[in-house]
Amino acid sequence: MSKSKAATPVISGENFQIPRIAFAWLLVSVVAVIIVHVSRLPIWLTAMCALCVLGRVLIWQGRMSHPGNRIKLAVVVLMVVLIIIQFGRNVLSTDATVGVLLIGITLKLLEMHRKRDVLLVIYLCYFTLVAEFIYSQSIPIAFYTVVTVVIITSALISLNQSPQAQRPWRTAKLAAIILAQSVPLMAACFLLFPRISPLWSMPLQSKNGVTGLSDSMSPGDIGELARSAEVAFRVKFSGEAPDYSELYWRALTLDDFNGHQWRRGLTLDMPQFLGSNPADTRPWFRDMEYKGRAVQYNVILEPTYENWIYTLALPQIHDERMLMGRDLQVNSIRRITQRYTYDARSTLDYRADADDEGLSQRRARRLPSDSNQRSFEFSTQLRKTVPSDEAYVQAVLNHYRTEKFYYTLSPRKLGNNPVDEFLFDTREGFCEHYASSFTFLMRAAGIPARVVTGYMGGEFNPYDSTLTVRQYDAHAWSEVWIAGKGWLRVDPTAAVAPQRISQGSNIALKQEKEFMNNEIFSLMRYRDSRLLNDLRLQLEMMDYAWNRFVLNYNQDMQFQLFNSLFGAVTRLKIVLSVLGFMLVVTLFVVLVIFRKSAQSKLPPATRYYLDFCDYLARLGFPRRIGESPLQYLERMSRQHPQWRPELEPITRDFIHLAYKTNKPDPFLLQSFQRRVRRVRLLS
Amino acid sequence: MQIAAAPARTTLRQMLLRAWHEHFGNWVERRIPPARNIVLDHRNIFIIPNKQGLGFLLVLGLMFIGAVNYEASLAFALVFLLLGVFILSIFYTFRNLAGLHLSAVPGASVFAGEKAEVIVILTRHGVRRYENVQVSFKGSRKASCDLLEATEQRMVLYVPTSQRGYFDPGRLVVETVFPLGICRAWSLLDLQSRTLVYPCPVECDLDWILANQQHSGNTTIVRGNDDFHGLRDYRTGDSLKHVAWKIMARGQGMYTKEYSSNIDEKIWLRWDMFADLGTEARLARLCWCVIKLDTAGIDFGLELPGLRLSPAKGQVHYVQALQALALFGLSAGLPP
Repeated sequence: MSKSKAATPVISGENFQIPRIAFAWLLVSVVAVIIVHVSRLPIWLTAMCALCVLGRVLIWQGRMSHPGNRIKLAVVVLMVVLIIIQFGRNVLSTDATVGVLLIGITLKLLEMHRKRDVLLVIYLCYFTLVAEFIYSQSIPIAFYTVVTVVIITSALISLNQSPQAQRPWRTAKLAAIILAQSVPLMAACFLLFPRISPLWSMPLQSKNGVTGLSDSMSPGDIGELARSAEVAFRVKFSGEAPDYSELYWRALTLDDFNGHQWRRGLTLDMPQFLGSNPADTRPWFRDMEYKGRAVQYNVILEPTYENWIYTLALPQIHDERMLMGRDLQVNSIRRITQRYTYDARSTLDYRADADDEGLSQRRARRLPSDSNQRSFEFSTQLRKTVPSDEAYVQAVLNHYRTEKFYYTLSPRKLGNNPVDEFLFDTREGFCEHYASSFTFLMRAAGIPARVVTGYMGGEFNPYDSTLTVRQYDAHAWSEVWIAGKGWLRVDPTAAVAPQRISQGSNIALKQEKEFMNNEIFSLMRYRDSRLLNDLRLQLEMMDYAWNRFVLNYNQDMQFQLFNSLFGAVTRLKIVLSVLGFMLVVTLFVVLVIFRKSAQSKLPPATRYYLDFCDYLARLGFPRRIGESPLQYLERMSRQHPQWRPELEPITRDFIHLAYKTNKPDPFLLQSFQRRVRRVRLLS
Repeated sequence: MQIAAAPARTTLRQMLLRAWHEHFGNWVERRIPPARNIVLDHRNIFIIPNKQGLGFLLVLGLMFIGAVNYEASLAFALVFLLLGVFILSIFYTFRNLAGLHLSAVPGASVFAGEKAEVIVILTRHGVRRYENVQVSFKGSRKASCDLLEATEQRMVLYVPTSQRGYFDPGRLVVETVFPLGICRAWSLLDLQSRTLVYPCPVECDLDWILANQQHSGNTTIVRGNDDFHGLRDYRTGDSLKHVAWKIMARGQGMYTKEYSSNIDEKIWLRWDMFADLGTEARLARLCWCVIKLDTAGIDFGLELPGLRLSPAKGQVHYVQALQALALFGLSAGLPP
């Protein structure tokens, strides 16, 4: 410790010995901080961190000396080069920053010469905890972080203990107590401290490893998602939820087909800003008709690193952050890199673009003319046999229903004419095959049609009646345009696998080998066991509440809370309430800290007498250790004879109350207390 | 101009600093009056976040910016949790001093320039425990102690002295940063422990001085003569040549061998023996003579203006002589 500033003028680095307990806790905290990131870090980086920690232990044991300047420089250069190679252009991304931070902490371990260095490592550990939350804020991670904070705080405390301290668990207990006592303060600040919008946009972390829809659709894309049971988003309906078979969560409208892949074509129609400004509405947006009952719901979206938003058609949203295209696709203005919440209202019965046959309808008839010839012929033949476009739609659906089509996750691969091969040769496919071929057949007959991707259904949790939509609920369907009726949803998959629509992919795909292939260890695999499934649903309920009320606690919720507490929100009120709350909570906790726990267990007479002794001690005459009340009285009377008239009755009363009666008379006790409280001695 | 300005500014700064120290010193003097026994409480404990605490706040600030930019609720929670820890650490650090009883016992007298010994006694009453409380005087090292199971701790501090007379080690600094090291609680206490400091002995030619003494008849002194007289406890200032090394090697402590001179002479150490020297220089040499004569076991008298010690020998006489030299000319026992 850098104890003596004056006595030994120069404290050289080698003199500082980090206390044993501090060293142990420090190593544990560094390891704890690194471990959560390991799955995302490049292997060489993890290995380097492990080597540094090991090296530090060897130095501690004296089996290795501190690395010299040249070695340190070489290691740092090597790390910089490796990081540049590893992350390339993304060197400023969050992943890279976290990597650099962790390497920095572990390298710093190797050159801890002064107390300052140790402190730096501890502070960096605290800082790195924030990085953890960029990736995940789940309940387990929150628990883990609490444990880590206790460990890091133990390291900080043990650094300030005297070198004689030898009991690491006592230190950890103290850390845990201090942290527990600051929880009320944390809660007050969390609820009331004004949330500020981001100061600048942070470098995006890579999209690697995020499963979800992509902006195009080719055969097999959606089937791939059925391997995953990851949550895509969670919905809570206010009021009655619509029928299960109505839960078509739209994301992307794909109207451009190149013979193999569907994508969203360019459009000349300007999107509609969904923030409130009625003067600036597009004509097509104004002309939409909303009929019947509207459904209200709140969606918590997991980060997708994309822009699109999931809604039931037809959404009426007021949200400053969103735009809606003429093709009914709703996009967020910013990419969704954080969990994202929005409220929406949807009218399931609607008319959109019904009367105006314009550019978008013409585009929705376009097909590449050089492939899938058999399908062209088939549709021309079929169209001749039916009187109207609507009858043709039914005829095609009937074709799927009556011919031997299979709904499967692992269809055979398709070649250059995927629609032809699917319709006439393989006849097995997942929803995207049906949506794609159906839309093709519509367009071939001159009916405007497009593919819509998104999710269908979800799982209702009976415990909190939320709907959890998972990746395996991903779905694709079609929309056809009928003059006078507008865009209508047609789901060809329903014709082949009605179970998928009425009960969800969970039931429809249960037997498939590929289904949820990625979830080997997940509780989701044990949905057949009632007990485990119940447990899973309850955990998910907790997770939803956690997401909704803790992670999504934002300015709006804050304002609501504030409103209900203090009425109208003003800046002054915010400041006063934050400070007031903190003051009250601090006072409360301080009372807890300073409570005289053991003394309050003493009998009252003894307590009052000890107060009296404290008073004398403050005057400069403490009772000696082992000195009896009478001896104390005698000593004090010798030193200050003028005090005797005050001291003697107190001592006598105390002896009487404490030793001569079993149950002190309350009246005597009270007068004794008053006497002690009133005593004033002049020195 | 610039060259001239620089020292001027320094002096101004020094002046301000000195004025502040003086002001603060006076304020502390009023706030915490000297006492032999002091209980630490809210009246005499100061507390303020230290450099590490500011570093902690800086880290919290960075974490807060991270939380804002990534809009991560749990990061906010973490920042607020640590902010709570910071606030609580103020009280915890305060609690680690509050209720502590302090007193000090002066150690043995020393010669000026040596380090004076002060024993600081920390006592706890009640159940509260104290960890890593540090005590120090200006110029001494910091001694840290725990009061966990023990209810009393004695810490020995060595404070450098420079002047003869009653030495006041200044205010005792009691401080702690426990538990988190981000706040420092401290108190400045005058525990009224005063150590007597003898003048720093300066060697002089004793033989020559005594030879030139007019008032003494036979002044031959045979130093280091061979009549072994006895042993006595080693005292600071005794010649190492006279240490009974054999006894010390046996681990029985440090003793000085005393030789008796067969000349039964009364030697007078007089103020005017060093006529051409100043007061302090005279006292320093007289002090050396006193030590030498005592070591040699020779009776001596001391004559200072306004003070006369008749010739004698032995521990009491020796101490009396040194005390007289230490306090010569000092009215209130304070150094000039």
